[in-house]
Amino acid sequence: MPPDSMTDTPDAPLRILMVDDESRILRALKALLRDYTTYQTTDPLEAAALAKQHDVDVVICDQRMPEKTGVDVLREIKETHPRALRILLTGYSDLKAVLGSVNEGEVFRFVNKPWNNAELKTLVANAGAIAREAPVIARDVLPQAEHDRARTQVGVLVIEDDTTVQQRLREILQPYYKVNFANNAERALQIMEQQETGVVISETEAGRHDLTGLLKALKLHHPHIATVVVTERANASTAIELINEGQVYRMLIKPVRMGTCRLSVDSAIGRYWQLKQNPQAARRYVAAAPNAESTTSALRLPAAILNRIRSLPGRLLGNARA
Amino acid sequence: MLLIVALVLLAACAWLGFEMLRLRRANLALRAGNAESEAELKRLQSTQSQVIHTTKLASLGQMVAGVAHEINTPLGFVKSNVEVVGDLLDDYRKLVKQYDAAVQVCLQPVDLIFNADKASLDKLVKHVEDARRKLFEARAAVEKSPLLNDAKELLGDASEGLTQLSGLVQNLKGFSRVDRDGMDSMDLNEGIECALTIAQHQLRDRVKVVKHLQPLPKVRCMPSQMNQVFLNLITNAAQAIDGDGTLTIDSRVEGSQVLMDFTDTGSGIPDDVLPKIFDPFFTTKPVGEGTGLGLSIVHKIIKGHGGSIKVRTTPRKGSTFTVSLPVNGSGPSAADAA
Repeated sequence: MPPDSMTDTPDAPLRILMVDDESRILRALKALLRDYTTYQTTDPLEAAALAKQHDVDVVICDQRMPEKTGVDVLREIKETHPRALRILLTGYSDLKAVLGSVNEGEVFRFVNKPWNNAELKTLVANAGAIAREAPVIARDVLPQAEHDRARTQVGVLVIEDDTTVQQRLREILQPYYKVNFANNAERALQIMEQQETGVVISETEAGRHDLTGLLKALKLHHPHIATVVVTERANASTAIELINEGQVYRMLIKPVRMGTCRLSVDSAIGRYWQLKQNPQAARRYVAAAPNAESTTSALRLPAAILNRIRSLPGRLLGNARA
Repeated sequence: MLLIVALVLLAACAWLGFEMLRLRRANLALRAGNAESEAELKRLQSTQSQVIHTTKLASLGQMVAGVAHEINTPLGFVKSNVEVVGDLLDDYRKLVKQYDAAVQVCLQPVDLIFNADKASLDKLVKHVEDARRKLFEARAAVEKSPLLNDAKELLGDASEGLTQLSGLVQNLKGFSRVDRDGMDSMDLNEGIECALTIAQHQLRDRVKVVKHLQPLPKVRCMPSQMNQVFLNLITNAAQAIDGDGTLTIDSRVEGSQVLMDFTDTGSGIPDDVLPKIFDPFFTTKPVGEGTGLGLSIVHKIIKGHGGSIKVRTTPRKGSTFTVSLPVNGSGPSAADAA
């Protein structure tokens, strides 16, 4: 047990680790977060050790540093000190970094420099509270027997209107999972109303209709569902929104590869399965309420659809035992 | 006899007249043709200047992306610090108010009561002691408060950040030379430094830059075009390096020439590609990633300045591009000044 956590009282100040190769950024963050206990380093190589040593609640890490990228640092911390929530802070978001932060770093939020002080403070306070209170799911991959049980029970829903891609996903997924296909949001909701759906695989668009609003609203109200976005329209800002407001589990770029796709769906099912048994842990994957500036906002969803999304859980978990 | 002569003369005249007519027609046709080729030339020239302009815009886009990253870091802490200093001052004001309140308590008049009983005397003494203690504590709080030092440190950083930011803007201005387009005397080393700043985001994490820049005489040239050349060569070097590597830049004077070497430890250029690298629209990059105009523009700009560019390359070891420019350059000809 790390030494610090021994003396932890519930209202002891949060412990925050900050990593950036620019020391002035660290000083600025330290001053901003002066109500908390902060640890800082300009050396990304020692970040993971510090996180564990001080049993920190939140890690804020820069992306571009000379020896190591932020994504690599956060992935390492995810393995060695999984109870800390991870925030990536970056001055320029290239798509590779954004995808890495979802698929490898599993970041809680992606924040752009220059940040907004009030928002960052609130974000850190929330993240810290979640890290302290919500239990951790150490590994998404289930033991074989349990996994076999999970994949026969948990529905995987594919939202995709391109028939070729549908066919391809059918070939990859049908032999292993309980898969359903939907061409549009309406059909997707029908399926989710009827069946326990633990994993949603979705494009960002279907028939020229935006799907990101649906994905965000779904995650906002049902954080235990794991969403895998499979898209060919990849751009950094949509991806960042899908992280922050959609807490996507994985983001894959078309064409879909069998191996990556199966791995993602396997661990997504594992994630859902464990969250179902341990609902408190879902707080770790809660999405931020949509930002007013978002290009695609869940707020723009028709009220009828939003209501249907909200009223999903009863049926969902009710069906689980059926 | 006379008749024959007259006939011959007449025939000659007729032939001459006919010939003249033909020549005039040919002349007219020629003139029309000439006008056409002049129009064609103008069209080509304007296309060329458009192409230069487009590459300028492309490098502008690249520049904006790179500089956005360079700007956002200092902007991040400057913005945060200024706000936090405001909060710190508010906190400090609270301390000063507490101190002031303690002073006010001390200034309250104390009635001296003659023949007072011991209890009220004790009360009085206690009151004075309390007031003094509070004043002492409040003063210590103000004196020991780290708030002002913290604020000062944050403002120091902010000011440092602003210097960085204005340096960046200066570089951008120097790079684009929007304020003085056209011919100028230029320190080519400055241009190289400028282009390196602009290309920072492509180099930073993985490409080490080694500079051997010797003092150079000022060269008459089009600075904005030369900067474009440098940015292009630096960007190409960065792209040739897969993973970590080194870019070495040398500059020196040899005789009447300024020589600049851009050496990368990249993939080198294959033999079949080498002859084509300066051709317009030739590119090895995937569709949509390169215009194929970079090196052809570089070549054109340097030739326009009366200089030359050479390349030496070893596959898998890297390449060296050597730019040579005359010290007393005449600068680009009018057509290139687009």
